[in-house]
Amino acid sequence: MADIFSIGRSGLSVSKKALETTSHNISNVNTEGYSRQRTLQQANAPHLKSGVIMGTGADVKAIKRVHDQFVENRLQSSLSEDGFYNERSIVLKDIEQIFNEADGEGLNQILTKFFNSFRELANNPEDESIRSLVRDNAIMVSRDFRRARQALDDQSINIDRKVETFVEETNSYLNQITKLNQKIRNLEVSGNETGDLRDDRDRLLKRLSEYFKIHHYEDNRGNFNVNIDGVGTIVSGVKMIGLRVGRVSKENSLNNMEGSLMLYFEGRPSNPITHKFRGGRMEALIKTRNEDLQKLQSNLDKIAFQLSKAVNNIHNQGFASRSVEVSPDGSVSQSDDKGPLTGINFFENITQEDGASHKIFVSEPIQSDLTNIATGLAPNKPGDNRVAIAISKLQHQKILHNNTTTFEEEYLKSIADIGLKAGKADIDQEQSKSLLTQMETIRERISGVSIDEEASNLIRYQRAFDASARVMRTAGELFDTVLGIMP
Amino acid sequence: MSRVSENSNSTALNFNLSKSKSRMEDLQLKGSTLKRVRKPSDDPMANIEAMTITSRNKDNSQYLKNASLAQLHLNATEDSLVQITETLMKAKDLAIQQSSDFYDDKIRNNIANEVHQLRNHALSVANKRIGNKYIFGGFSTLSKPFETDGSYTGDNGHITIEISKDFFVPINLTGEEVFFFSDPVSSRTPSPLDEFPIFENSRNKIFKDESPEEIKKNQEFIEKGRELASTDPKYQTQGYKNKSNIFALLSMLTSALENNQPKVIQNLLVKMDDSISRLITMRTKIGSISRSVQNSVNSVEMDTINNKSRKSELVDADIADLFSDIQKNNDTMQAAYKVGNATINQSLLDFIK
Repeated sequence: MADIFSIGRSGLSVSKKALETTSHNISNVNTEGYSRQRTLQQANAPHLKSGVIMGTGADVKAIKRVHDQFVENRLQSSLSEDGFYNERSIVLKDIEQIFNEADGEGLNQILTKFFNSFRELANNPEDESIRSLVRDNAIMVSRDFRRARQALDDQSINIDRKVETFVEETNSYLNQITKLNQKIRNLEVSGNETGDLRDDRDRLLKRLSEYFKIHHYEDNRGNFNVNIDGVGTIVSGVKMIGLRVGRVSKENSLNNMEGSLMLYFEGRPSNPITHKFRGGRMEALIKTRNEDLQKLQSNLDKIAFQLSKAVNNIHNQGFASRSVEVSPDGSVSQSDDKGPLTGINFFENITQEDGASHKIFVSEPIQSDLTNIATGLAPNKPGDNRVAIAISKLQHQKILHNNTTTFEEEYLKSIADIGLKAGKADIDQEQSKSLLTQMETIRERISGVSIDEEASNLIRYQRAFDASARVMRTAGELFDTVLGIMP
Repeated sequence: MSRVSENSNSTALNFNLSKSKSRMEDLQLKGSTLKRVRKPSDDPMANIEAMTITSRNKDNSQYLKNASLAQLHLNATEDSLVQITETLMKAKDLAIQQSSDFYDDKIRNNIANEVHQLRNHALSVANKRIGNKYIFGGFSTLSKPFETDGSYTGDNGHITIEISKDFFVPINLTGEEVFFFSDPVSSRTPSPLDEFPIFENSRNKIFKDESPEEIKKNQEFIEKGRELASTDPKYQTQGYKNKSNIFALLSMLTSALENNQPKVIQNLLVKMDDSISRLITMRTKIGSISRSVQNSVNSVEMDTINNKSRKSELVDADIADLFSDIQKNNDTMQAAYKVGNATINQSLLDFIK
């Protein structure tokens, strides 16, 4: 009869444990990354008693989380992919806005205005007020070149800042992972349940996966290791190697920017890993910065450089619209008390293409004196408009890329390029999002909590608990009966 | 049968809802701006084509401005030519009257006075201005091209204006061309871009707008003008080598009249015919330029209209399409909401009492 008691008690405690697990599942139904747990119960070891094998009730063998490592890995790689396209589409959309002229004025319209103001000047080369229009438009052109370039530089700096916060977060995640590794190891040594801690660790791994593609495994000594794909090991058991951020000079940078950000492993600053990341937000940012932004920057430089050079070359040939002294032997005086009369630069002279869009300014002589705007090729000819016409014709002249593209074509090519990339990133992002959702659904199907299931379990285990209690009452009644025999 | 958990259910529902919501947002933006392309990535190729069209239309409106200025100058030049021709005709009539011995010196003196007045009139026409610009001074537009003694201080610059892409027209005649009879008239104007090496490879292209046939036609026109004015072949073959001008001619006539020299007057008649023929040639030249300006204005205006409709095709939203899309999407969303309502809020717990 004592057996019946203990069997009943084992049933009670198993059912209670199962009810606990069920309620744990129910309360975590909306916990992110939670894996449902199951109580594994088994029959106790039987006794051999007077030649008969007797059952001794049930026991809880373990509480297991329902988890598929393979699905988890695929989910992580989907997260990397989605992180990459998501970040890329955000950054490219930002960059695209710098060049958005769909409504309102942008560099292209300002450039058209600039050339047309030279046409207007060619119509009335004698008119002072049109000269000031030309000058104002030229100032607007140079200012807009600088604005666009500065906006691109700012984007690059923003990316650097974003990478820096990613690195900080990464390091804090790594720290948490090593701590969890320690805890899990300690608990498992003493045979305790670690499902919730493992869920925590998986959650951190998922966060890391958003930043870059990772690979993780448990080695034969039970150490949990994490690698960044293509970069190196960052967690090895309870040890971590953090990422560090450094700044490099323009010559050593990957995107031709002074003070550009570079990444390296803690303690190894001479070994940059900036370009090695694969997938995730990190690669998206670094790739956009090093490739797309840099291309736009250098294209803008090229246009600014060639524009100022071409305009200057033509303008240099002309004469200022002041009276020029011509001596009887036909030699023309080159300067007067207001400065040179010919060979005047319209834009400040730029010596090299690199950074030209930062350095494009309307030259000082043009800024200070409108008569320095040359319209004619010959001195003392107020009606001569050939220089103005020639400058206006630069608009349609194929000058860039070995005389195959005009300024406008080159500029629009840049915009089309960034537009195509942003559009593609958008489509890719939608696709990767739907893949990610699919993976998440699969994971939730396996590991997620179903209220229906838990409700039926609740009833099931409650019934089992009731029945076990009944067993104990029966055992009690048996005792009463036996005790009742005694007078 | 796959297992369904609370989250797998809601994840899928959320994804589909947010997908149709973002499509709805896109449609809404399209509807509120009525633009299909609002940023380059919406349709990169259409976007840059639209931008090209925008700048082409800006250029076109400048070309129209240029053309109206060109027209103004050409009309003024033509008017002046008409006035000078009339003046010379009058002088020629007088010269014909006086080329015989019929009149005596008193009358000739009066006539000389009249011719002198005609010369003054011609001089004022030669110094005609538009605004503050002298039209017969070549590039020297701000100084008087003709002195009272009839000497020319202008130059032989031809001011050209671009009236449609790569199509330049001269808008002036120089004092030398009109009032002197030195060189044969050329129907070609030098390109304003000749002096700039950067345009070397495109220069030929720029001027191909004036096809060879057209040049020939113009040439014939000019020849015909000459024939009309002067029938004396001797002077045609001699060309216009004579270094003198209309004012000198009128001065000579005056002095011949004053000195009562009918023989000299007779000789002058030939030169007058020459000058008149030259002026008529010039008028046909101006007329043909004026016509091509008008043609170009028409084609630029046409181009602008075509551009606008093309741009609208590229960037504007198709309203009928838009509304049917919105309706369709709306239905999808409503369905998704209803389905969500039906599945999400149902659980076994509702039935266990």
